[in-house]
Amino acid sequence: MPNVGAELASVPFGKMIYDMASAIARSQIALDKASIELVKVLANTTFDYVPDVVETLMPNPRPVKGVMDSQGNQLMVTGVLVQTDVGTAFPLTLLQAGVNPTFYAFTNSTIEVKMSISSTQESSNTFSAGVSVTASADFLFASGSVSSHVNFSASNKYSYSVTGSSSMSTTLAPVPPPKNMMPRFFLVNAIDPAKVTVSQS
Amino acid sequence: MAFQMYMVAFNGGFSQDASRSVQHHIRKLNGFTLMVMKTGIIAAFDDGLVLAVQAHPSVKLVGGVTLSPHGYAADRLQRIFAENLSKQLEVRGE
Repeated sequence: MPNVGAELASVPFGKMIYDMASAIARSQIALDKASIELVKVLANTTFDYVPDVVETLMPNPRPVKGVMDSQGNQLMVTGVLVQTDVGTAFPLTLLQAGVNPTFYAFTNSTIEVKMSISSTQESSNTFSAGVSVTASADFLFASGSVSSHVNFSASNKYSYSVTGSSSMSTTLAPVPPPKNMMPRFFLVNAIDPAKVTVSQS
Repeated sequence: MAFQMYMVAFNGGFSQDASRSVQHHIRKLNGFTLMVMKTGIIAAFDDGLVLAVQAHPSVKLVGGVTLSPHGYAADRLQRIFAENLSKQLEVRGE
């Protein structure tokens, strides 16, 4: 008779968990490498950033041709002149601007093993026995015979099947960039060099 | 599947033809170009299409990006992205 406990014990759980953990670790390294590569691309991508545009509204009174006021003077209307002063552009990297790489982490992993063990046994026996007696008598002779038979048959049917399936699932979620993988930004104020601001995305 | 923002970095140096070709490729995949730079494109497309975008010969790397509100120019970048996105939606008639 098969032992269900032995069948379950033969499932290589340890190896399955190790293989899955190993695959996750390799994938995590590959994902982190790709994200670090992206940090380099973002840090080396610059664009010209215009910090500010100053628009000054200047008075611009102008006369209305052919229209006089009640005192006979040329009618003046309030005009406005917009004076635009575009600040000097400077290169800014995408990282400084606020574009951060997405880092991913495996948050939850599940291994599911399903086993179905079925075992059936069927036995049948048949028995039959018979006796036949014949006798005859004549003028000088008399005879008799006895015969008997026994039939016995036995059959055993035995079936055993094990089916199994396993599934592995894992969740990949975006996470904030790890501090150690992101550069720090030092802002030195040249007007007051003592003021240094350190920031990190 | 969901739309996400990606940095699509070019392979090698900048070339106008390669940049346009990558932009067309992204558009064919129903993605949107949000900003074009010399080293690559910031685009938005379905996260199931990363490998398809990566398959373009002029693409070196495709990586997900997010916009940090603490960035120096995050609000302006957001505005630029929104403007460029609205232009593409208009052209497509959606």
